[in-house]
Amino acid sequence: MKRMLVLGALMLGTALSPAFAGSGPIKIVLPEEADLLEPCMATRSNIGRVIMQNISETLTELDVRGDKGVMPRLAEKWEQNADGSWRFHLRQGVKFSDGTTFDAKDVKHSFDRIMSDKNACESRRYFGGMTVTPAVVDDYTIDFKADPVQPILPLLLSLVTIVPEETPLEFVREPIGTGPYKLTDWTPGQQIVLTGRDDYWGAKPEVTEATYLFRADPSVRAAMVQAGEADLSPSISQLDATNPATDFSYLDSETVYLRIDHNIEPLNDVRVRRALNIAIDRQAFLGTLVPDSALLATAIVPPPTLGWNPDVKVFPYDPDGARKLLEEAKADGVKVDTPITIIARSANFPNVTEIMEAIQAQLQEVGFQVELKFVEVAEHEQYYSKPFKEGRGPQIVAAMHDNSKGDPSFSMFFKYATEGTQSGFSDPKVDDLIKRASAAVGEERAKLWSELIAYVHDEVVADVLLFHMVGFSRVAERLDFKPSMATNGTLQLSEIKIK
Amino acid sequence: MTLQTTETVLAEEPSFAKRMFRMLLADKFALCAAIFLLVILVLAVIGPSWLGDLATKQNLRGRNAAPFDWGRGWVWWMGADALGRPLLARIVVATQNTLMVAAGAVALSAVIGTLLGLVAGFSSPRVNQVIMRLADVIMSFPSLLIAVIVLYILGSSILNLMLVLAITRIPVYLRTTRAEVLEIRERMFVQAARVMGASSRRILFRHILPVVVPTLTTLATLDFAYVMLAESALSFLGIGIQPPEITWGLMISQGRQYLTNAWWLSLWPGLAIILTTMSLNLLSNWLRIALDPVQRWRLEMKGSKNG
Amino acid sequence: MIPPPDSPEGAMLRFIRKRAVASLISLVGLIVMVFFLSRLTGDPAALFLPVEASAEMKQQFRELHGLNDPLLVQFGRYVGNVVTGDFGESLRKARPALDVVLEAFTWTLWLAIVTMTLVTGAAIVVGSLAAFRAGGFFDRLSSVISLVGASVPDFWIAIVAIVVFSVNLAWLPTSGTGSLLHWILPIAVLFIRPFGIIVQVVRGSMIGALSSAYVKTARAKGVKSGPIIFVHALRNAMLPVITVIGDQAASLLNGAVIVETIFGFPGVGKLMIDSILQRDFNVVLAAILVTALAIFLMNLAIDLAYALLDPRIRH
Repeated sequence: MKRMLVLGALMLGTALSPAFAGSGPIKIVLPEEADLLEPCMATRSNIGRVIMQNISETLTELDVRGDKGVMPRLAEKWEQNADGSWRFHLRQGVKFSDGTTFDAKDVKHSFDRIMSDKNACESRRYFGGMTVTPAVVDDYTIDFKADPVQPILPLLLSLVTIVPEETPLEFVREPIGTGPYKLTDWTPGQQIVLTGRDDYWGAKPEVTEATYLFRADPSVRAAMVQAGEADLSPSISQLDATNPATDFSYLDSETVYLRIDHNIEPLNDVRVRRALNIAIDRQAFLGTLVPDSALLATAIVPPPTLGWNPDVKVFPYDPDGARKLLEEAKADGVKVDTPITIIARSANFPNVTEIMEAIQAQLQEVGFQVELKFVEVAEHEQYYSKPFKEGRGPQIVAAMHDNSKGDPSFSMFFKYATEGTQSGFSDPKVDDLIKRASAAVGEERAKLWSELIAYVHDEVVADVLLFHMVGFSRVAERLDFKPSMATNGTLQLSEIKIK
Repeated sequence: MTLQTTETVLAEEPSFAKRMFRMLLADKFALCAAIFLLVILVLAVIGPSWLGDLATKQNLRGRNAAPFDWGRGWVWWMGADALGRPLLARIVVATQNTLMVAAGAVALSAVIGTLLGLVAGFSSPRVNQVIMRLADVIMSFPSLLIAVIVLYILGSSILNLMLVLAITRIPVYLRTTRAEVLEIRERMFVQAARVMGASSRRILFRHILPVVVPTLTTLATLDFAYVMLAESALSFLGIGIQPPEITWGLMISQGRQYLTNAWWLSLWPGLAIILTTMSLNLLSNWLRIALDPVQRWRLEMKGSKNG
Repeated sequence: MIPPPDSPEGAMLRFIRKRAVASLISLVGLIVMVFFLSRLTGDPAALFLPVEASAEMKQQFRELHGLNDPLLVQFGRYVGNVVTGDFGESLRKARPALDVVLEAFTWTLWLAIVTMTLVTGAAIVVGSLAAFRAGGFFDRLSSVISLVGASVPDFWIAIVAIVVFSVNLAWLPTSGTGSLLHWILPIAVLFIRPFGIIVQVVRGSMIGALSSAYVKTARAKGVKSGPIIFVHALRNAMLPVITVIGDQAASLLNGAVIVETIFGFPGVGKLMIDSILQRDFNVVLAAILVTALAIFLMNLAIDLAYALLDPRIRH
């Protein structure tokens, strides 16, 4: 009898302990400081990492770990009205961290604030090329009317952080949101502290308090977690990721590619562009200069994105084929000997210098004249975005593009449309496909994006797509957390469990 | 009493070159330094043509190969870099660019700085004030900003790289020279020369400059290291040396990320810089003693410990 | 009571006043140069906003911050604000630029003061001892150590020190600014280069001073080697030494980027680099002004020290 009681007590004890064991403060070390904590700037990754879904929430949320698509957050359900506008039914009983209640007026103000010209809100760029008008229907219902009609408006709203309607138009330094945490300390340059709220509408997270520290050097970040000074570093270098118990790699939605400027000879000839692609031995980079879990890219968006086309094959490594193409082009009078300049950004991603030097060597093997130029951010931007300089020689810009939003529309216009700011060419079929795909829904939409991806890769040979990159993170053993594709821009503390 | 006429034979003093050489032999450290510098100079001249191909041949499978591997050729003794190129060959080839930039920048800044310092120290207070405030301005202007501005206005080239590096170092020579001039000009021999009617220029260059030179050479040789390291930070911006061109400083900064697991990438070029700086310094210390008639007995007597 | 104009104190005051005026002129020159030149080098809008921002958004950003006005108008506005103590707002951080800079400069100032104090003391002692027995074992050893120190890349030492002392031995924290222990590694790393340089300069100067005529005379008269010779020789060797101390201190005041980056000390070096790369003009200007002021004051102190050390020097 006594044994039964003791056993029973033990079992009860172990049943109860999970409720108490996993809860407490953690420290996170990030590579760069968030110089602003303004909610409408949360779409910039160094700010979103701290704010997104921790302090400020959005109406909807993209499921990056599964395939549920767009999930409810502050909006419980939504539907499209007859006239194409979207109606959102908001969650009730939600309070901001300053005590005020959340309702449709806050949503309208948040949106208007982002689009206002009295500030420089970053999130505004996702709504370019369309006019969106929010209209409050009642306290918990709001309509968003878009012109042209936006099939992915619910996805777009996952980028709009909600602030109280009293928030001024100028940037704030004390963000108020509906999220599970509030900002309790911000010592610029040193730390940011988020503390859990008791009046949060959702489940109480295990992490009660998070202190964010900033160290620019990746080895120091790794050392801090190793030494116990921090519990989590979402970004360490591959070289430090040697401990399988704490280090995890994850696809981080960044794509490295070489943007070709089709306007200057010899890059205006598709044979030359094709030669560029098949002269590069992409496979040889995996496991050497690029982590071997990286993917070879066939599109500017990574595989989980809607419309990613599995039928598009990576260009084979065929240096002889490349030489033949160049000879053909030369025979037709194309000046294939003109020196081509590859412009890359220093410290853009790990091993960028070595990767570019290796690519230069491979291209020179088949007969290209290639010069390398490494520049800093500001100068790189001038080469990458229009307007392009008059009288320039043939140029290729090495760049990294990020799309973790699940839909190619965020990339295709800017990189491939005639009017696109980083687009190096003009093709009416591409413009048409982009327009139609952006307006389509469901299966049709996926099909059109796939068609565009294949066309741009195989027919136009618009650029030299290289790799979908992976990042490495170090998580202390006392935490239970696996980074996802979105971790770069959204580090949800509620996803972190304490063992 | 007959006068004994003895032909006094004066000891023949050996030629200048022979004397210097003997004094060099007397100081073993300076001898090693001189030999090392000679080797470096030779490598700077023949390096690219001799090992240029070997240094650029990439081999992704052989990247970060460890050093001291006697199985492969002597070129691989120092290991391989992140692209599988032999480090020894890379360092030899990099010598030319490194020395060119460093020597150019240091020479430029030393000459201009010293001249301005001489003028500042010896001329009227007004000229002194103007030059010194100019030095203050240069000291407060961040070198990165100078680099960005030069880059945008003059474009990127090795000459501009040398220009930026030289500008930032001018105040060091300027102020040191001026400080010494301020002190020396009050000394007896300067007053004497002035009374005898020597022109300012003569006094400056014939009397004052030689006294200032030893400190300046110490500074210049130490500056070499600073310039070799600073240059890599500027190439990061796109000004100056671009890959696949290489310098020791660039090799060091590229090896930074591998410090904990492929330490040889940063070590050998770093060692090259340290050894070059030490050699330059040891040689300049030796030179200071060898050229000073008051001091050189130390070397001629095969060196003693006390002064 | 204001000292009479021909007394030493009066001369010093006159000197300081003339210096203040000249420094003000050069500060103004510096502001003008940096203001106009930096605006030639790029567009902060393109750096603040992502690459996918439209030209219209960038235009809006420039409007918001007054960057579309003609340069002279912008300059006039800036000067008008500076006179009232307003150094503009950081484009990047949406905070007054002066606040940002002063926070960062406090860290840099502390690092510089502590480091240079330690360096000066240690280097003078080591350099003088080396000069005393020039060519001897201590001289050779200290030369090697100081030369290595002056030429070794600072991030080497920093990272190796962290690996050894923090990760492996766990004696010290890896980085950050919390306690006194946090300052040990950063200062140790910052110490090495100036120490190496100043030891060499002290040694060189002292060798010259020790073999000069008056020292020989003193010795011949029977004054034993020791403190008296040392102090007299030192005093006369100090001129180039304090100049170089000043130069090293100036470079520390401009910020020690590597140490700040690796150890997470939010000083003015990293702030300056980031602001220049991001074209955050107001912060760049404010940072340059604050450091320039510090450097000007330091150079003034050095010039006064010259006169103190060597009464023959007149300014």
